[in-house]
Amino acid sequence: MKKVLSRLLASLSLAALPAAAYAADSLVDTTTLLRFSQDSRPGVAKSTLLPATVFLGLDADKLADGKLSAHVLGWGRADLADKSFNENQVDGSLTYGYLQYRFGAANAQARAGRFFVHEGILNEQVDGVSVRSDLPYGFGVSAFGGATVHNVRIPGTSSDGKGDGIFGGRVNYRYGGMFEIGLAGVYETVAPTMADPNLAGRFGSHRVIGADLWYSPFAKVALMARASINTETSRWAEQGYLLTVKPLKDLTVTGEFNDYQDRDLFYSSALFAAMPSMLSGNNLNQQSRTFGGSASYQLNPKFELTGDYKHYTREIGKADRLGAELRCTLSDLAVRTGAGYHYLRSSADFAVLPTLDASGSFHELRAWAMRDTKSYFASLDVIDYLFKREIDGKKNALELYGSLGYHLTPNLALSGDLSYGSNPQNTDELKGLIRLNYSMKLAGKGDTK
Amino acid sequence: MRPSSQSLTLLALVALLFALAACAQIKALPNLPANHPEELASGPVSCTECHEDQQKGTLKQYAAFNHSRSFITNHRFYAGSDDVLCATCHKVSFCADCHTNQTEIKPSVKNGSRPDRVMPHRGDYLTLHKIEGKLDPASCHRCHGRANNERCVVCHR
Ligand code: HEC
Ligand code: HEC
Ligand code: HEC
Ligand code: HEC
Ligand code: HEC
Repeated sequence: MKKVLSRLLASLSLAALPAAAYAADSLVDTTTLLRFSQDSRPGVAKSTLLPATVFLGLDADKLADGKLSAHVLGWGRADLADKSFNENQVDGSLTYGYLQYRFGAANAQARAGRFFVHEGILNEQVDGVSVRSDLPYGFGVSAFGGATVHNVRIPGTSSDGKGDGIFGGRVNYRYGGMFEIGLAGVYETVAPTMADPNLAGRFGSHRVIGADLWYSPFAKVALMARASINTETSRWAEQGYLLTVKPLKDLTVTGEFNDYQDRDLFYSSALFAAMPSMLSGNNLNQQSRTFGGSASYQLNPKFELTGDYKHYTREIGKADRLGAELRCTLSDLAVRTGAGYHYLRSSADFAVLPTLDASGSFHELRAWAMRDTKSYFASLDVIDYLFKREIDGKKNALELYGSLGYHLTPNLALSGDLSYGSNPQNTDELKGLIRLNYSMKLAGKGDTK
Repeated sequence: MRPSSQSLTLLALVALLFALAACAQIKALPNLPANHPEELASGPVSCTECHEDQQKGTLKQYAAFNHSRSFITNHRFYAGSDDVLCATCHKVSFCADCHTNQTEIKPSVKNGSRPDRVMPHRGDYLTLHKIEGKLDPASCHRCHGRANNERCVVCHR
């Protein structure tokens, strides 16, 4: 905890303070949330939760020679009443904080600090440095390296299961805007040994290679694919394919197929590699597949209708989800509404408690509306899950969520949310929150806006 | 490991030479703007409303990035290869509402005044997840596998 805060402070003072002084353009964005709820579930000590959370974001552009920028986001929370989220009365985290230098050409850029990496099949968070650049003839390259960003310890062990160092990168080739292939890999230093017997033989270092593909032979059709191999187990981890077809200007049809080798995909996650089903013994599968499709049709500028279907195959059973959603946007975005219905049909194996007469099937109903004007904004969201078989004696889980707010000034908005829930864990669950958002552009000299 | 590390060094040298030779040509390659020149309102975005669908350099067709419902559901396929394009409009903080290392607030609550957003985990997710998690754990692993699982380990042990 101390480490987190001191890092947060260090990065803030390193990046943000000089930034505010020299940046030609900066954006400060803070959101403060004061949430209120009461935990009165049967069998749990009654408590009042009043956590105050502050998110602070800062983007300072055009530092130094105009190509350097600084970006920070972090949050801190203090419990004003009983402990809310964990054993810490105050907690916080630095989500990211880095300096970025954009070179004058080829989308070349370098980063240093804490940042996220999304490169082909890779999705990592790193304390370190990264570089990327387009290269002649359609090639491109990116690389990153540094320390892993550690997470909470898994109870009963002394670590989060991540190695300490990480590096990786991607090379890609593009042919016009028509074809792209990328090859990427990540190598994390050896994972700590975990005492959990459930992890034996299923858990290890995070080392993955893989490829991504984009192929759009003509404007109306695009095929995208991702495939990765776990080099520790020398097996496929994940394959995903998405085909997008636009037969009409306002109609988008997609088809997708995903194949997961669970033990190879979850191999470096101390949480998922074990995932012992608490209630039904160990049901970590090996082969899981999904396929499905969707069609979104923009009826006119106001209405978008989407239908979707997905089939799930796991070793424990099969399931299908089918549904539709209508969205409506009126009078210059000031009024938006939507409604949707989905049905999940699944075998008893997917039920919370997979007994013989159980069912994992449910209907999902949702309707919402919002209005956003210059002075105020308001919204209402109703969502109801109707279970085919009762869960803990409840037929459904209903939530009503309302929000009302004012734009006090163009930069400052104050809003309050109130939600009511009736679900298998709570018969009457009332929660509230107050949200203050302050977002301010500081334009320095020489800026025209 | 020895011979392979030697050949790796050789490979790296060749790559470096190639890189140096290419350096002059790199300077001629275009940059995307740091920020999208036109500030857009919140809500659904259709690139082709403003952009003619002509293809330029190595930029993909604008129509591919229209934020239709299916683009949003499948944005992972786009983000991995066009991160720099996304960054012209999206601050990382926008993505970090849903993608983060550690947070205590559901994205749909942090953005409670935006029911129009396609946020995961609406409603009583603590109950629902016991079904959804069995259905498609790989989709959960993307966000909770190696990050943001302080909440989960309390029960899943
Ligand atoms: C409200 C109108 C509008 C919308 C919607 C819009 N743009 Fe733009 N965009 C512009 C304007 C104006 C420019 C600056 C003039 C230009 O370069 O075409 C621009 C410039 C760009 C550029 C820089 C082009 C260059 O060659 O430097 C990119 C890339 C871009 N837009 C991508 C997108 C994408 C992707 C979307 C959809 C997600 C989108 N835009 C939606 C108005 C819009
Ligand atoms: C031209 C600007 C522009 C570009 C480029 C762009 N977006 Fe967006 N995107 C937007 C705007 C505007 C919104 C709406 C934000 C809002 O409603 O508050 C949005 C919304 C989103 C959402 C959330 C939708 C929701 O309903 O919650 C996702 C996810 C997203 N974009 C991903 C991407 C990805 C990935 C890329 C890169 C491939 C990208 N965007 C490129 C402008 C852009
Ligand atoms: C409203 C919440 C939301 C926002 C905002 C959002 N995403 Fe996502 N993202 C998701 C969800 C949900 C998935 C998982 C999709 C699935 O597989 O079911 C996902 C998946 C991804 C993945 C794949 C991760 C993996 O491990 O395979 C990437 C990469 C990604 N998003 C990038 C982005 C970027 C970049 C932005 C900002 C421009 C962004 N996302 C904004 C919800 C969001
Ligand atoms: C795009 C990233 C993303 C994906 C994909 C995702 N989650 Fe989450 N999830 C979050 C975030 C952010 C939170 C809020 C932080 C928290 O409570 O830990 C959250 C919270 C939760 C919670 C706590 C809910 C509550 O009411 O407090 C559960 C349970 C959960 N996720 C389960 C899942 C399961 C199961 C899946 C897969 C079906 C999944 N998540 C997929 C980002 C994601
Ligand atoms: C309040 C306790 C609780 C919390 C908190 C919780 N879960 Fe669960 N989770 C359960 C229960 C109970 C089940 C269903 C019973 C079972 O194990 O079969 C379940 C099932 C699952 C499953 C299905 C796999 C399986 O073994 O059945 C996944 C995946 C999952 N949870 C992920 C998460 C993630 C990710 C989070 C954190 C974001 C989380 N859970 C938080 C109690 C919890």
